[in-house]
Amino acid sequence: MRFIVTSTALLKNLQQISGVISANTVLSVLEDFLFELKGNTLTLTATDLETMMRVQLDVNDAQGDGRICIPSKILLDYLKNLPEQPITFSINEQDLSIEMSSDVGKYKIGGEKADDFPKEPAPGDTTSFSMSSIALIESINKTLFAVSNDTLRPAMTGVYFELMTDSITLVSTDAHRLVRFRREDVSCPQQDGFVVPKKPLQQLRSTLSADETRLELSYNGSHLFVTNNRLSMSCRLIDARFPDYKAVIPADNPYRLTINRADFISALRRVSIFANKTTNQVVLDINGNALQLSAQDIDFSFEGKEMLSCQYTGEDMKIAFNAKLMIEMVNNMDGGELNIELSTPTRAGIFRPVEKVEHEDVLMLLMPLMVGV
Amino acid sequence: MESANRARKIIHIDMDAFYASVEQRDHPEYRGRPIVVGGSPEGRGGVVATASYEARKFGIRSAMASKRAQQLCPEVLFVRPRFDVYKDVSQKIRSIFRRYTDLIEPLSLDEAFLDVSEDKLGIGSAIEIAKQIKQAIRDELQLTASAGVSINKFVAKIASDMNKPDGLTFIGPSGIEDFMEKLPVDKFFGVGRVTAAKMNGMGLHTGADLKKLSESEMTQRFGKVGRFYYNIVRGIDNRSVQPHRETKSLGAEDTFQVDLTDIDSMFTELSKIAETVEERLRRHGLKGRTITLKVKYHDFRIINRSHSFTEPVDDYETIITTVQQLLLGTAPEDHKIRLLGISLSNFGESRPGRKINPEQLSLF
Repeated sequence: MRFIVTSTALLKNLQQISGVISANTVLSVLEDFLFELKGNTLTLTATDLETMMRVQLDVNDAQGDGRICIPSKILLDYLKNLPEQPITFSINEQDLSIEMSSDVGKYKIGGEKADDFPKEPAPGDTTSFSMSSIALIESINKTLFAVSNDTLRPAMTGVYFELMTDSITLVSTDAHRLVRFRREDVSCPQQDGFVVPKKPLQQLRSTLSADETRLELSYNGSHLFVTNNRLSMSCRLIDARFPDYKAVIPADNPYRLTINRADFISALRRVSIFANKTTNQVVLDINGNALQLSAQDIDFSFEGKEMLSCQYTGEDMKIAFNAKLMIEMVNNMDGGELNIELSTPTRAGIFRPVEKVEHEDVLMLLMPLMVGV
Repeated sequence: MESANRARKIIHIDMDAFYASVEQRDHPEYRGRPIVVGGSPEGRGGVVATASYEARKFGIRSAMASKRAQQLCPEVLFVRPRFDVYKDVSQKIRSIFRRYTDLIEPLSLDEAFLDVSEDKLGIGSAIEIAKQIKQAIRDELQLTASAGVSINKFVAKIASDMNKPDGLTFIGPSGIEDFMEKLPVDKFFGVGRVTAAKMNGMGLHTGADLKKLSESEMTQRFGKVGRFYYNIVRGIDNRSVQPHRETKSLGAEDTFQVDLTDIDSMFTELSKIAETVEERLRRHGLKGRTITLKVKYHDFRIINRSHSFTEPVDDYETIITTVQQLLLGTAPEDHKIRLLGISLSNFGESRPGRKINPEQLSLF
């Protein structure tokens, strides 16, 4: 098979899917891109066995349909070092030789058999719904950061997609904090749920363009498929039950603190510098409409304190949180003002933006640190 | 450079059956009896940390499954280790070392290298220092140690093992090459039974056989360690005694005679390795936050998979469940596995009594 393609166009397309390829892989064919030529359409595929991404582009002067695996690293390195120009690929599927000729030279790579490349899971019996590209990106952005890395609790290493006929809710948790993000501009054919691993979501976030392009999402018991006109991704779902998140969201936290989000984050950042590095403990001491943030690291005699003004309705209280987790949460929230709803120093605090974005509802939970047991 | 070439005086001190000897010292009823310090053979079955010399006569060795030890000698007594006591004794041994030199590199609670090229008391003779250290350990702690004295770490370590227990072996600069030539390959540090069998298969049985190979032949056949062996057989080992060497990782691994292909045998081997790792962690008083599984396939490709915890760990249960999960994530049954290894790293100081850390409350 043979075709001509612009170096930069090929590079751009490969980079959209190359993130899937894992750095230390078990099978050498997983370090490859699968090239498939049919007519004038070149399909490029990358996979790590869990996630598969595929992108299509048009090429010129195509001759002979065919398939081959090309090692990714050398190909990307080559393309990155080439100024924009047409490259002619001449591929011999029998001896697996790949020749790339450009204006400046000729390069050869040995490929691998296309049949050794993992097959895409068959979509089979799927249910579908659609949402815009930007809505999915936004949903991923709001939830992915709170996903757990604890492989011993696999359900929490992914984002839970809860489908309803009038909304979609994404939930992530690492057992210490939880994010629930709901969109009311998506409708699903039936009530359902599945857990999507972190990596394919990271891939989608970085590959999809943040616009109104419609995406089709379809799923079955084992896989999720996301496609638009040019790009498709399939991934294995996490085969574990997501914890009953609804049970841990406090129904009624009676005290409410309202504060400027930006001021709160910058104060937290400063105070947490003086916190113990393993616990990152920052104490919120709420007294009327005054909020004092304080942290200390006894080992090094570090201490930091800062006063902020806020609006507070409730009893005065002292509650400690991990500042790192809290900063991350508040940072991933929109709006100028933030509400923190509290009940006791040992129960979860609820964080929400004061202003609601249309069609969106975000709620974050953070469990406190219990001091001196 | 000059000083690096000047002949050094290195002593390797290795306590004889350390844990078992401490137990026999503290419990007169154990004396003269075959005892094993380590896990009991019941339940999941522990491993032998140390066997007393009486027990060794039955073929019982360190790292052997306790069940096997019991088969070899049914009357053997299993004693639970008291690591706090061993640590304490180990500190006392080190304070004896410090009378002679500050260049002490502890390898574990019961083993250390000492560089006595310049000793604090101006004794001058490394053999004399080794004698005095052994005597002090006997007088003050009622324990025996074996010493190896030479000009580098490698030879000193082998020498200390030559006349155990209560031995003192000196291998001087003139005898070193001769000594290395006669040394069977399986006595070389880092050569396990599989590598030894591989070497024997190539007709390499002693240091002299290895010496016939060129440096490039050695690296070709044995990889990076080949160069190390190349130098070692010529008596060259310039590694210095490092008093402040931090343990960065600690673990154990095993190469299998026959490649593993089914998950059951992989799990069985992993549990043996995990036992050893747990024992070594306790021996060094370390807890690690990161557990790493190493897998070498039949084609010598190596992969590592690791998992980190927020709190340091050192217990068998955590180690084994973690590495089993990690192994399952590598599609293990699709490959022939030649070697499995487990290591812990990211050692936090486990500071007992200082755990005033606030507790992060959980949702689930």
